[in-house]
Amino acid sequence: MLTIIYGDAENSIYNTSVYFKNTYEPEWFESELAKKMIKDIDDSDVLSGECINSPVLGQIPPERLSGGVKTLLLMLNEPDKIFNASTCGDNCAKWILEIGKQKDLTINLRHMMSFGHNTEFEIKIENGGEIVHSMRELIPIASRYLNEMKQE
Amino acid sequence: MKDSHRIIVESRKVKYDFTVKRNITILTGDSGSGKTVLIDLIRDYRRYGSDSGVFLSCDRECRTIDNEDWERQISEISNSIIFIDEGNRFLTSRKFAELVQKSDNYFVIATREKLPMLSYSVNEIYGFRKSGKFHEARQKYNEIYHLYGEISEQRMVCPQYVLTEDSNSGYEFFSDLSKQKNICCFSANGKSNIIFGLHKIKKKEGTCLVIVDGAAFGSEMRDVSEYLKVADDIVLYAPESFEWLLLSTNAIPNVNVSPILEHPEKYIDSKEYVSWERFFTTLLVKRTQNNSLWAYSKKKLPAVYLSSKLMNAAKKLMKLIQWDV
Repeated sequence: MLTIIYGDAENSIYNTSVYFKNTYEPEWFESELAKKMIKDIDDSDVLSGECINSPVLGQIPPERLSGGVKTLLLMLNEPDKIFNASTCGDNCAKWILEIGKQKDLTINLRHMMSFGHNTEFEIKIENGGEIVHSMRELIPIASRYLNEMKQE
Repeated sequence: MKDSHRIIVESRKVKYDFTVKRNITILTGDSGSGKTVLIDLIRDYRRYGSDSGVFLSCDRECRTIDNEDWERQISEISNSIIFIDEGNRFLTSRKFAELVQKSDNYFVIATREKLPMLSYSVNEIYGFRKSGKFHEARQKYNEIYHLYGEISEQRMVCPQYVLTEDSNSGYEFFSDLSKQKNICCFSANGKSNIIFGLHKIKKKEGTCLVIVDGAAFGSEMRDVSEYLKVADDIVLYAPESFEWLLLSTNAIPNVNVSPILEHPEKYIDSKEYVSWERFFTTLLVKRTQNNSLWAYSKKKLPAVYLSSKLMNAAKKLMKLIQWDV
């Protein structure tokens, strides 16, 4: 199930790009889901665990994938950790829901990500324990927790 | 810093061409749209100049900063355009907001997070759209006459109740306008209370018109625009500010600021005014201060601002909104 912590989350990894650069494994790119996500978000093809073919940038190493794809790959491969999913655009939302269907996943969101206005889902909001099933239910609750974010 | 500045960044594989005209521009949008690529190119150009293989054209220096030594860098850099990528925790810090407010630089920030301590405009939030090599910067939120939501030129917005961000002069004005139309006007008491306010009062029938100061509503725009998509019959009206609306009426005696309103960026110094909203308030206060009848105050609206002449001029400016019964 997908669980979201809105606002500040202790122990979450904020700069997912740096974490990815120093931790990714070539084996991560063997899974079909990883390949599909990379194709969908970055329009790129996996050539090997160390080489991606991007239509814009040519052949690139994995650390030059988009911030969103890198965070998705971290969620897929290290679901016991909490990652800052505000590095993901709305085009990553369906893949976050997909990973959440396959395994228990907790993410940290620091903005109002749209999971689709006609999409039904089951998301637990960790801040207050609410379970929501649509954006209509989610937005007022998420907005409240996002407004409570610390400004230090 | 003042004025608008065109920035062209090009490598053999990608090209960006866009213009910034306020102290804060936000880059947001889908993953893979090229925000980080842009900032990486500017960083390469800054480090290696033309040896980088990057072409950069701008009438101001373009810089990038990250987590390392950011406070010193912002304090020391002047008259430049500073680019900052996501992943930098300091973006949401009070210290960063303070430095931006005192800075004579423009900032271009790639982030999806709301930065409520910074006053930025709903008009300066951009996403990139790719077309081959070219990355076109497009305003994230589409408007017609400062209206956002399910809007078309063919359909008038007929509000059945009004919610204002403002609780002082702006609220007084729209409250009076609403009274003439026999509809209720509520105040949300601040820009971060709009969704809470809508949720509380949205049991009424008909269209709700939400009125905010667009020049400083950028941090809330994402949440509110998502809410507009799932809630029925809510329209957002976000002119630059209430004072901008009053100035635009051209109905205040001896206050003709049309050249300023046409190109505010030529007159507004980012170091002096953290947002255009503050500038328009100061402009109205200064231009009316010697007129005992029209001397403007943000706290309490002078009665003359509720005169039919000014009200009618304001109504004319609020195109597509039907205020008359």
